[in-house]
Amino acid sequence: MKISIGCDHIVTEIKDHIVKYLTDKGHEVIDNGTYDKERTHYPIYGKKTAEVVATGEADVGIVICGTGVGISVSANKVKGIRAALVGDVETARYAKESLNANVLAMGGRIVGLGVIENTIDVFLGTKYKETEENKALIERIDSIDMNQDLVQDEHFFDEFIEKWDQGVYHK
Amino acid sequence: MKVVIGSDRNGFELKKILKTYITNLGHEIIDETPEKDLDLYEATTKVAKIIQEEKADRGIIIDEYGVGSSITANKYKGIICANVFDEHSATMTIRHNNASIISIGSGIVGPILAEKIVESFLTAEYDGGRHQVRVDMLNKMC
Repeated sequence: MKISIGCDHIVTEIKDHIVKYLTDKGHEVIDNGTYDKERTHYPIYGKKTAEVVATGEADVGIVICGTGVGISVSANKVKGIRAALVGDVETARYAKESLNANVLAMGGRIVGLGVIENTIDVFLGTKYKETEENKALIERIDSIDMNQDLVQDEHFFDEFIEKWDQGVYHK
Repeated sequence: MKVVIGSDRNGFELKKILKTYITNLGHEIIDETPEKDLDLYEATTKVAKIIQEEKADRGIIIDEYGVGSSITANKYKGIICANVFDEHSATMTIRHNNASIISIGSGIVGPILAEKIVESFLTAEYDGGRHQVRVDMLNKMC
């Protein structure tokens, strides 16, 4: 399976662990960063990871930050992405089976490596079960009108990064 | 604080428990799903709309697993919604993400933990500062 992965600087080592875990199992991994511990911003990596899935380049995505919240929200704000923020295996199974979730989000400071690995295994091993109800719900979620200016725009966040570099956000 | 709450049919019983708890904490409640027959898309859309229109300070949505509501809510402009299953995340999602809505899975989170999550969510305050750059990014996305 082809898996797109991304994280912020809080959990880089966990992402690196997962990349190895998945590669050892024979999956192909697209690592969208971040690659070190230098302070950066989760929406950059949530957006990148999600877009690789939305374009069909990868089958599914995995995103991780401290709580999983920030990076899961940014992934969900890409059209066509259904990113499930989970802390347990059963919710991950449901998200794939009933919502056909295409990104799995977890908090590296919330759940440990054992649960993370188990959750990934179940998420990747579960198939979407199409029913009339599931199909209708997914169609309604996907039809919500969304900003699409961001798609594949690598400079979408430039204005904020410039302000960051100027120290505007530092008090 | 003014709190908007909603649930699908699977979250209806937990919503009742949380409404009592939130009222006892001294907050004002807007219940967007007084009837039991809504699904998670409809319930989420109603709660998200109240937050978008700034008719409430914070929102809570309950379905069986929490994930469906959070996926749906985040598709709406300006909404930052966290699916929460522990008190730490409930606090941090306000402090760092300035989330306006949390979702809770009634089949995953028991009533006592759900009460504590809600209390943490309603007590926390946004840290601002460096976190604002990320929140600005999210709000530009949709």
